[in-house]
Amino acid sequence: MNEAKALTTLSLFVVGILGGVLVHALVDKGPAENPYPALPKVEEPRAAHDVVAAIAADDAQSLSRLIDSTMLSDLDSALQPIIDVRTTKFVGAVESEGRMLSAYVVTGKTTEGMDFVVGFVLRVANDQVVGVN
Amino acid sequence: MAGSLGTLLVGMLAGFVIASATGVFIQDSGLFGASGESPVTRSYMLSLLKLDPSSMVGIRPNQGVAQRASELQGADTSRSTSPIQPLSLTYMGGATVGSYSVHIYAVDLRNAQGVDQFFPLALTVSGGRVVRRE
Repeated sequence: MNEAKALTTLSLFVVGILGGVLVHALVDKGPAENPYPALPKVEEPRAAHDVVAAIAADDAQSLSRLIDSTMLSDLDSALQPIIDVRTTKFVGAVESEGRMLSAYVVTGKTTEGMDFVVGFVLRVANDQVVGVN
Repeated sequence: MAGSLGTLLVGMLAGFVIASATGVFIQDSGLFGASGESPVTRSYMLSLLKLDPSSMVGIRPNQGVAQRASELQGADTSRSTSPIQPLSLTYMGGATVGSYSVHIYAVDLRNAQGVDQFFPLALTVSGGRVVRRE
């Protein structure tokens, strides 16, 4: 008797899970259609990779040699409120008429010790990083 | 009877949470061809390119009535005096940490002067709303 009851309860729970998954599938709509063309992805530019490698390694010395003071200031703003970088991830790069954008996601800790995530983009032209957004 | 219904409801809740978490994981990892793009950020970008702040109301932090009116005024002026022509909108990628996710786009547009502009936008989403734009 107890076994039958346990089996019924378990079955109801599994049916519930399946129902929950079904409800989620019904309410979770995908992104709206993009009416504009999308640019093809390109490989990560070497110059941008070097800059992000310095950020990931917490290597201020290398970073100071790779980009100028204006870009360092822009980078500092882009990374706010993260002060302790834990991970960096290249998410994609696109090119339009010789201008390249290389995008990254950084995770880390804020001054309050909270986990946070920010995104920033390096502009690359002529194999050099020329801007930070 | 009530106990059975409770078990069913708890199961449904668990199923919903599991499906949601799995969806986020699949989006972030790009498995099964998922781009990882958020419907919220896509809507936000489309509203932005159409200069239509009214359609952003539900997907960004609440603003005062005066601020919203000011934005609508600015959008009307932009549409009539300096229209833009979007050339491309590309989702570059994103990631999620806890309740925050970041989604990055590249926008190529032609301004009223006929000058092409190519720039990125990083959107931070929390609680189904775009809470930060850079």
